[in-house]
Amino acid sequence: MRITQHPILEYDRRKEVRFTFNGKQMNAFEGESIAAALHANGVMTLSHSLRYDRPRGFFCGIGKCSSCFMTVNHIPNIRTCIVPVQQQMTVTEQEKLGKIPCTPFIPKKKENITREIVVVGGGPAGMCAALAAAEQGASVLLIDENNAPGGQLVKQTHKFFGSTEEKAGTRGIDIAKELLNGLKNKKTIELRTSTTVIGYYENEHMHRVIAVRRLIQGDQLLEISCKKMIVACGAMENLLAFPGNDLPGVYGAGGVQTLMNVYGVKPGDTVVMVGAGNVGLIVSYQLLQARVNVDRVVEAMPRIGGYQVHAAKLRRCGVPICTSSTIKEAFGKNHVEGAIVTKVDDCFQPIPGTEETIPCDTICLAVGLTPSIRILEQAKVRSEYIPEAGGTVALHNPFLETTKNGLYVAGDASGIEEASTAMIEGELAGVSAAISLGYNKNGSEVQQKCKNALQLFRSGPFGRIPKICKEKISSCLACEEGGTQY
Amino acid sequence: MTKKTDVVIIGGGINGCSLAYQLAKQDIDVMLLERQHLCSGGTGRCGAGIRQQWSTKENAELAIQSVKIFEQLDKELNAEIGLRQGGYLIAIHDEKELKQAEKNVALQKSLGLQVSVIGPDEIQKIVPILDIKGMRAIAATFCPTDGHADPFKTTDAYAQAARRHGAKLQTYTKVTGIKKKKNTIECVVTNKGKIKTSTVINAAGPHSKEIAEMINIKLPIKPLRKEILVTERVQPLFKPMVISFTDGIYFSQQEGGQILGGISNPNEKNGYFSDPTFFFLQHMAQTLLRYAPSLNTVNVIRQWTGYYDMTPDARPILGEVKGVSGFLQCNGFSGHGFMLSPMVTKLLTEYIVDGKTSEILHNLSLDRFTDKNIEKEAYVVG
Ligand SMILES: Cc1cc2nc3c(=O)[nH]c(=O)nc-3n(C[C@H](O)[C@H](O)[C@H](O)COP(=O)(O)OP(=O)(O)OC[C@H]3O[C@@H](n4cnc5c(N)ncnc54)[C@H](O)[C@@H]3O)c2cc1C
Ligand code: FES
Repeated sequence: MRITQHPILEYDRRKEVRFTFNGKQMNAFEGESIAAALHANGVMTLSHSLRYDRPRGFFCGIGKCSSCFMTVNHIPNIRTCIVPVQQQMTVTEQEKLGKIPCTPFIPKKKENITREIVVVGGGPAGMCAALAAAEQGASVLLIDENNAPGGQLVKQTHKFFGSTEEKAGTRGIDIAKELLNGLKNKKTIELRTSTTVIGYYENEHMHRVIAVRRLIQGDQLLEISCKKMIVACGAMENLLAFPGNDLPGVYGAGGVQTLMNVYGVKPGDTVVMVGAGNVGLIVSYQLLQARVNVDRVVEAMPRIGGYQVHAAKLRRCGVPICTSSTIKEAFGKNHVEGAIVTKVDDCFQPIPGTEETIPCDTICLAVGLTPSIRILEQAKVRSEYIPEAGGTVALHNPFLETTKNGLYVAGDASGIEEASTAMIEGELAGVSAAISLGYNKNGSEVQQKCKNALQLFRSGPFGRIPKICKEKISSCLACEEGGTQY
Repeated sequence: MTKKTDVVIIGGGINGCSLAYQLAKQDIDVMLLERQHLCSGGTGRCGAGIRQQWSTKENAELAIQSVKIFEQLDKELNAEIGLRQGGYLIAIHDEKELKQAEKNVALQKSLGLQVSVIGPDEIQKIVPILDIKGMRAIAATFCPTDGHADPFKTTDAYAQAARRHGAKLQTYTKVTGIKKKKNTIECVVTNKGKIKTSTVINAAGPHSKEIAEMINIKLPIKPLRKEILVTERVQPLFKPMVISFTDGIYFSQQEGGQILGGISNPNEKNGYFSDPTFFFLQHMAQTLLRYAPSLNTVNVIRQWTGYYDMTPDARPILGEVKGVSGFLQCNGFSGHGFMLSPMVTKLLTEYIVDGKTSEILHNLSLDRFTDKNIEKEAYVVG
């Protein structure tokens, strides 16, 4: 199941690690997540559903869906997709509800941290925010719950669009490397990975967040105070409702990218891709690069949503893109064995008699994302449901500041868009936060540059929806009433 | 919206919905008004513990009778309310508490309750995860028929049954005024229009105070923020609700495996403060781990707040008030309104339908506060 040859990627497999799954010895490579390592060893079922005892597997790969809960070193309910595998680890499937261990209690002291700016989320938006703020002179703490920063950017093997100044023509993974290097070289940025922000609490004149740092010997609580805070915690993949959608072998597109492009593990041999937006098209092509057969892409809309270049590339490789079609059912005993797809009419209703059964072992869902705004909700910023944003989003001004003083949002968390604009938004939020603290080397110029770049991106044909989204956000912000107050 | 009805109930919590059901069942034309969705007040935020171990006779009696009703409610309402009777274990920390407990147990036993004082060994047997030393217990009282129900399922079961009997439940309808003529009620004013009625039941939780002020009745109710949390699911560990009046803590394990509990904040001020605090999270986690150290790897997944509608003696205000006929109170539960609701609402229904009064309604009327020597409920937790 491990990918050995890839046209673009090289995988770091220098150090082998041995661990056990349900008592059986298994091999992995250092840096792999537990779930990815299990996958590479052919273990697809990670847990069973509590009520109906249905098998569950890897779905999101970024710690947001809970289908990968397992007991690790006797501690239950570990999200194995974001915890790195380690030498001698014992991994067991839970008998549904996890058993608590009988270990002695060693309290770990809480750590108190005060920093000028805290950035939550180390994806493209968060990394750029941290860099931009530090560039102006502010001291920054960057927090990410995964064990390495990079977010979705480290999975993008394709070249980016836009102007050369915004790194067009460069592959996402290479941009990520550049940003990571930048982070390492900035002494005023502290990076904390494997750390999850779990709560926002009111405090006089400061933002206060509580985070949990996951350690092998147990967790540690961090109490963090800061003057400005930038929330860039991305988005969650949408699930689609159809019978069998929870079978192991049904993945979110981001989950598939994580498996293939971060860990070099094949999701399966034959894929049906659902959704022909950019994500669906790009991931289909990445699957081909990893030598996985893509049977077809189904898209419920009458036309392809993503860029023509990506669609054309797929077509050249002989992958049909079927519009006005959708998945009706996934079937299989313990794992996906096939999919039933069907044509849909103008009202997206299945047309009887058009069903087709496709043997496949993988179904990949690329049906959109929902902004992650829970921390912002806790901070009680004004928010609004905006369909063009992908869900409920925090209202924010052109400098990405929310209705709460000194609290910014950037990237997918501010409305679903793409990595290029996430980076610019991050930069704009970072620089604006720094300026408001009095750090301004060339901040005003950077702000202007970012605003121009965003405008440029959103004036093209594919910027249409984000443009509407941002317009709606500013008109909601303008009216006194309305917006949900949490 | 119907413009006329026999009875208006203000508040869509457990008490409002139960009243709507019981009145509608007696063929009374009833309309319930809720400013948000059902269960948006205390009911949807509470621990939903059901305890019969009380220090005052009225509360104990109401609770004992309520448990009898809870026990057959699934059948009566043709729904599942998630009742689980795992008992309540009340920790005793010193001789003084032990004396009070013995007195209370005697009172409770005289009312027919199965309850006893137990020693450390027995505590350990009933709740193995407890650390007797850590929790500093010398004994406990235990009543096996106490327990817990699902507040959402119970309220929904009442609401559905009420609708089946013809009650109208209007959500997102806020009461903004009450009009009276001389000493009788004329109509209730809402953000969606007026409703003519002669009887109003005030079951608006802490907001009951503001409702009563609309016709110049003063209720001695103060809203007090209460915080509560829930953990992820783990394998079944214990059945009872464990509480301590000294530490102010209560916790139990839900059917799904979550540990749910709260603790009082000795420095909490009265008022509508809705924000969850970090103080609570820490205080609760630390105390819980002192009681049950083996929970140290369990993650908290959510914390939230609600209000206790506190009265000076921590007992509810029930029944018709002097001065305005047809204005009934069903509030001031001081943190125990879920467990008392079946019996309280039954008594109020009997009063409305047949004019039947009872000693309990009399003892818990608003009038009692004019008396200086009111008996205070000592057994308040959370
Ligand atoms: C943290 C916590 C833990 C608790 N634990 C327990 C427990 O273990 N056991 C127990 O028995 N009790 C417990 N309680 C107490 C219990 O929740 C309440 O006593 C009970 O739910 C009260 O129910 P109710 O129907 O009287 O009021 P509520 O459930 O508060 O309902 C009142 C309703 O009135 C509505 N309303 C207010 N103003 C207006 C208006 N102007 N117009 C229209 N509608 C209005 C509100 O929106 C609300 O829905 C707890 C409470 C809290 C906060
Ligand atoms: S949380 Fe691990 S796969 Fe989604």
